[in-house]
Amino acid sequence: MSLKNKACIVGIGSTEFTRNAGRSEIHLAVDAVTAACVDAGLEIDQIDGMSSYGTAGIYAAELAPDIDVARSLGIPNLRYFGQTPWGGGASCGTVAHAAMAVASGVANYVVCYRSLKPASGTVRYGRPTAIPAEYRYSYYMPYGFASPTMWVATLAKRWMHETGATREQLGYVALVCRENALRNPRAMFYGRPLTMEEYLHSPMSSDPFTLHDTCLENDGAVALIVTTPERARDLKQKPAFVTGVGFGTSYDSHSMTSFYRDSIGLPECTEAAREVFRMAQLSPKDIDVAQLYDAFTVTVPMQLENYGFCKYGEGGAFCQGGDRIRLGGELPINTSGGMLAEAYIHGMNMIAEGVRQVRGTSTSQVKDAQNVLVTGGLGVPTTALILTQGH
Amino acid sequence: MSIEYNPKYMKHFYDPVWENFEDGFWQGVKQRKLKFQKCSGCGTFSHPPRVRCPKCKGDGWEWVESSGKGRIYSWTVARQEVHPAFRVPFEIVLVEMENEPGVRIISNMVDCSAEEISFGMPVEVCFREVTKEWALPMFKKLGG
Repeated sequence: MSLKNKACIVGIGSTEFTRNAGRSEIHLAVDAVTAACVDAGLEIDQIDGMSSYGTAGIYAAELAPDIDVARSLGIPNLRYFGQTPWGGGASCGTVAHAAMAVASGVANYVVCYRSLKPASGTVRYGRPTAIPAEYRYSYYMPYGFASPTMWVATLAKRWMHETGATREQLGYVALVCRENALRNPRAMFYGRPLTMEEYLHSPMSSDPFTLHDTCLENDGAVALIVTTPERARDLKQKPAFVTGVGFGTSYDSHSMTSFYRDSIGLPECTEAAREVFRMAQLSPKDIDVAQLYDAFTVTVPMQLENYGFCKYGEGGAFCQGGDRIRLGGELPINTSGGMLAEAYIHGMNMIAEGVRQVRGTSTSQVKDAQNVLVTGGLGVPTTALILTQGH
Repeated sequence: MSIEYNPKYMKHFYDPVWENFEDGFWQGVKQRKLKFQKCSGCGTFSHPPRVRCPKCKGDGWEWVESSGKGRIYSWTVARQEVHPAFRVPFEIVLVEMENEPGVRIISNMVDCSAEEISFGMPVEVCFREVTKEWALPMFKKLGG
């Protein structure tokens, strides 16, 4: 028994992406879920499951809890509810859990969502106010080692040293994401081009990163609705089949501070990659377009290696010049602009973009995209999805 | 350069919490000793500490004082302030210990500029007071 093609994404919904949404995380989630129901052609009351995630343990408890969102929507009962831990690493995992819930009959229509407002809210990511209560931070916070940018920078610097990857190669990731955002009116960076000159001469935030290497800070919410292929037939949209799901932690896994392995790469990605390709019975050469979690530029070339699009040490060269990863190249990436240029919704917006590619409705559409890889957050336990047109 | 703390905020950032199985590390720090967990069954070192040995699954641990010598495995220079407790710029290093196979530790450099740091640079531990109660293990250039 396999989960392959037992569930599909039938609705996507989003709020605007903005520096100040003027309403709470719960309100944003309600708006996104409502939009997803409209998109799918479902009544709100048909939703009977919720799959969500937050940053509990790092910054704050979940600010848009499922019962509060359900209560404001008037959903009569949740037959399934679940949270996936580890921040952005959870993004694709929420769909995996929803797929398991609908395929097993635990629920019929599960909504996956993420709502956050770090731009105008009380919790600003990367701006800690104290040591989190979790014990592991006592090894880091007292040294001022206090933000995801610093944590990933330390990993990136070693990877660049080992592989010879350059700042310019990371710059092409930022540039290609920006090109995609210029075609996407929803994107935070719509209408705001970026040049290599500008990229290379921006001040460092945490060596080797500048602000152009790190994701946007914005408010917003995205929701997705998952159901079975049988139910999908009666709905409005062309379904995006969940053909593969993968989870991975690898060994000696920490939350963003996995500095103690033999080689400090992203081995959790390699594990998630194996699982997602195994279930889908596909290989990297079958992937037409990828939405690679890009909270930081460097994780794109690293993932190209870990997901098997190239060998270890070749990820930087893969991005050189940008031609292989831009629209029309062998593996177009992050076609909405990703989190570097569309919006930072903890990866949920990248799954929505994966669905658009399957539907054929992206603003940077890859012609007849059959198989789309979407990945979750890096440097944390991670998850991945392959979405397809099905059979 | 060394990290400069703004004492006004240190209570927010330096009141470490730890689990029972990590006690040996923090008791060592209190005595200004850098101690790492070593499996009494198979000799495997672990940092940060664990409940059981990842290799032999034994739960007998010794806390072994380190020579404090190691080499720079990676580093970053924080240039954008994330909290006024820590004045930028400052250097954060990941040190690979010389005598404890597989052990790396995050820390700051003392009396060393960002430009001086390089991969594989030999360093040694020193303790630096950050509050009245606590001195932290930090690193300086070997012989520096």
